[in-house]
Amino acid sequence: MAGSGSIWRRALIVGLIAGVVVLYLTTVGIVLAFAERSFLTGVTSMGRLILAIPPLAAGFVVGSRSGSVGARLAAGLLAGAVSGAILALSLLFASAVDIRGVLIRVSAPLIAFVAWDQEAVTGATINLALAAGLGLAGAGLRVLPPRFRVPLMAAVIGVVIMSLLERFLRPRLTELDFTDVARFLYQGGGLTIPAAVLTFVVVAIGAVAWSPVKAGARRSLAGADPGQRSTIRAVLIVLAIATVLYLPEVVGSFFSQVLVSVGLYVLLGLGLNIVVGYAGLLDLGYVAFFAVGSYLTALLTSPLSSLGFGWPFWLALPVVILGAAITGLLIGAPVLRLRGDYLAIVTLGFGEIARLLFLSDALKPWLGGTQGILGIPDLFGVPRIEVPILGVISGPELTYYPLVLFCILAIFVAHRLKYSRTGRAWNAMREDEDVAEATGISTINYKLLAFAMGAAVGCLGGAVFATHLESVFPGTFNILVSITVLSIVILGGMGSIPGVVLGSLALIGLPELLREFAEFKLLVYGGVLVLMMILRPEGLLPDRARQLELHEAEEETGPDSGPPLTAASAGTPIGHGESP
Amino acid sequence: MSSPFTAPSADDTVLDPGGERGILLEARAVTKRFEGLVANRDIDFDIPRHSIVSIIGPNGAGKTTFFNQLSGIFQPTSGSIVFDGVSLVGLAPHDIAELGIARTYQNIRLFSAMTVVANVMVGRHVRMKSQWFDAILGHPGERNEEELAHQRARELLEMVGVRRRYEDDLAKNLPYGDQRRLELARALASDPKLLLLDEPTAGMNPGETRQMTDLIARLRRELQLTILLIEHDMKVVMGISERITVLDYGEKIAEGTPAEIRANPRVIEAYLGKQAHA
Repeated sequence: MAGSGSIWRRALIVGLIAGVVVLYLTTVGIVLAFAERSFLTGVTSMGRLILAIPPLAAGFVVGSRSGSVGARLAAGLLAGAVSGAILALSLLFASAVDIRGVLIRVSAPLIAFVAWDQEAVTGATINLALAAGLGLAGAGLRVLPPRFRVPLMAAVIGVVIMSLLERFLRPRLTELDFTDVARFLYQGGGLTIPAAVLTFVVVAIGAVAWSPVKAGARRSLAGADPGQRSTIRAVLIVLAIATVLYLPEVVGSFFSQVLVSVGLYVLLGLGLNIVVGYAGLLDLGYVAFFAVGSYLTALLTSPLSSLGFGWPFWLALPVVILGAAITGLLIGAPVLRLRGDYLAIVTLGFGEIARLLFLSDALKPWLGGTQGILGIPDLFGVPRIEVPILGVISGPELTYYPLVLFCILAIFVAHRLKYSRTGRAWNAMREDEDVAEATGISTINYKLLAFAMGAAVGCLGGAVFATHLESVFPGTFNILVSITVLSIVILGGMGSIPGVVLGSLALIGLPELLREFAEFKLLVYGGVLVLMMILRPEGLLPDRARQLELHEAEEETGPDSGPPLTAASAGTPIGHGESP
Repeated sequence: MSSPFTAPSADDTVLDPGGERGILLEARAVTKRFEGLVANRDIDFDIPRHSIVSIIGPNGAGKTTFFNQLSGIFQPTSGSIVFDGVSLVGLAPHDIAELGIARTYQNIRLFSAMTVVANVMVGRHVRMKSQWFDAILGHPGERNEEELAHQRARELLEMVGVRRRYEDDLAKNLPYGDQRRLELARALASDPKLLLLDEPTAGMNPGETRQMTDLIARLRRELQLTILLIEHDMKVVMGISERITVLDYGEKIAEGTPAEIRANPRVIEAYLGKQAHA
């Protein structure tokens, strides 16, 4: 026992953590909030799913330790049981003593729900047994060889995602006259059993087929001559364009609106990515450029503004970009000598100054103060346009299409800059400013250039935003925008262009898709960011992803992900080889 | 003051290929004060073209301070530094790099999260012309220049002996010796006239040290370089320098050929203390 102590101690610790997480989720109210939200119709609810995940994850984590299969399974069972025990004991305690005065969410319905509507003791026993079983299942999943584990996990996750999407898919399918499909998939607010089985099977088969298909595709791509390769690329590009063109049609008008928000943040993210990701200048006042883009557009295009020019958007745009770039230089110039934390604090101040200037009474005759500027015309000056293939475009789609165009343009510019003399100079400056200077890079010029380029790209977002809302108000441009954009860049991976797109989808699009969690949005948001920083600090799609992908080909010839025994034995010098 | 250039030693037959003698860098009465502390006092120092010269001295003698004034990181408090007919005083480091002075660092300073080949291409920066708008517009000249720079970087890596399979790895993942060589390749990428090496063999074992000194001698020969070394290790310096300047407490205490320096009592005293001399 003493020899193989490490795995048991680990099981205890992980189990304790899982138990605390369960307790936290319960007392914070998220479990009861989803007690009525069906996960699988007639089987179980989202609330139960939320309670099940921590013990399952604990078993999975513990199961990755070295040791015999039996020991790992037992450790998983133990970890699950520990987390279950915590919940069970808390349940007994809460049903014996009224703790609502301290934890207001611990209501009678919650206690009844957690106790499966049974006596406290019976309920506690059920929870303990279930959690232990889930821990065992988690460890069992980890013990399975990857060729079974991966499809199984993918299938389970697929089912959960399908169920989560109920609020979005069911109404949309009904709208699109797929009522039968909607009825087959969802009933009573949850995924039906046949649909769950179907999803499970389809995803599992897909996951099994995926790696040979991928390997095959790579092989045939490697064997293809340049002509074939460019054909493949052309087909992919056409497919991508078609997807982008028809997306608003498919997702409906509400989600087109969401896509517009995502697109705006993609533009902002790409701009900030140049400043922070490429050049390493931590700018916490990035919202200033967003505001400048919006206000310049408003001033130039709105007939109601102090200037009253009433220019069409496309005439104003070059002036807006130029103006934002100059603002970038103006903000960049005083902070040239500052580094790191100091730069962050000063730019934070600049962001606030910008907001207060737009809000100020002194500038009210020009910028409108709290009333902002109204009467900004549409992008095309008309509410609806007929386009040959797409038909009539109106509402958010009218913003969506030009926005996509801007995003593609910004991605193109960001990509070209990244792999150029300029991009390298920025990267060098990010890595070591003094050495970059001594190597011949004028760090002053390149810093200013980074601020100007970042502002020019980001102001596009502001310009589109202003025309989309047809008005601008200073309240929009608060520090939360800066923080969100920075989070997008960090979540996606500093300096990574696909990372910005994925980060925007995850931080802007996903919360809209999962609106029912809105009450707990910040909780999830914070939790996800903390987890990310622990598990994957380089971001979701880090800059070097392409590189890693290239190396993946070599790894695949070796044993998949390495047998846990050898992998972990290096970390635990004592123990696993000993016989009792 | 300015000392006549001594005849090259026997093993350096390929010296002075262009036949142009003369001084590449001329420092006169260079003084650097840091709030009362005099790091360099009235240093006169010449680097003849196509020579390898060294500055040695005990820790804290002011070697790196002097070096930093040559590369523009510090400005001298007084005195003049003229490189190839241009005064360096008042110039920014990046201007000096463009004039043709490149350097390495005592504690290796690479762009660690960039690839090996990108590190060298950054070194090439001053010899490239494309601007950001060329890159965005995909100007053919820009593509061509990138291609050439990439090619040149690979040649230099081969020359200094960094293996080809490391090219696309991050600089920070290279073994120690290769990091030193990479730093050298980055410095060479700017086609310098004068190469400043700050303790290039620090932390190396005798075998690696020999490789490095051979490489330095070869670079001078093949790239027509002028090289200034700062070294701690007397053996390295004695083997490859034509002239040696010794600093102690910020002042120049001796100057001459390796043989002269080895025999100079003041040098021995500065390095080994009085007993050793006795």
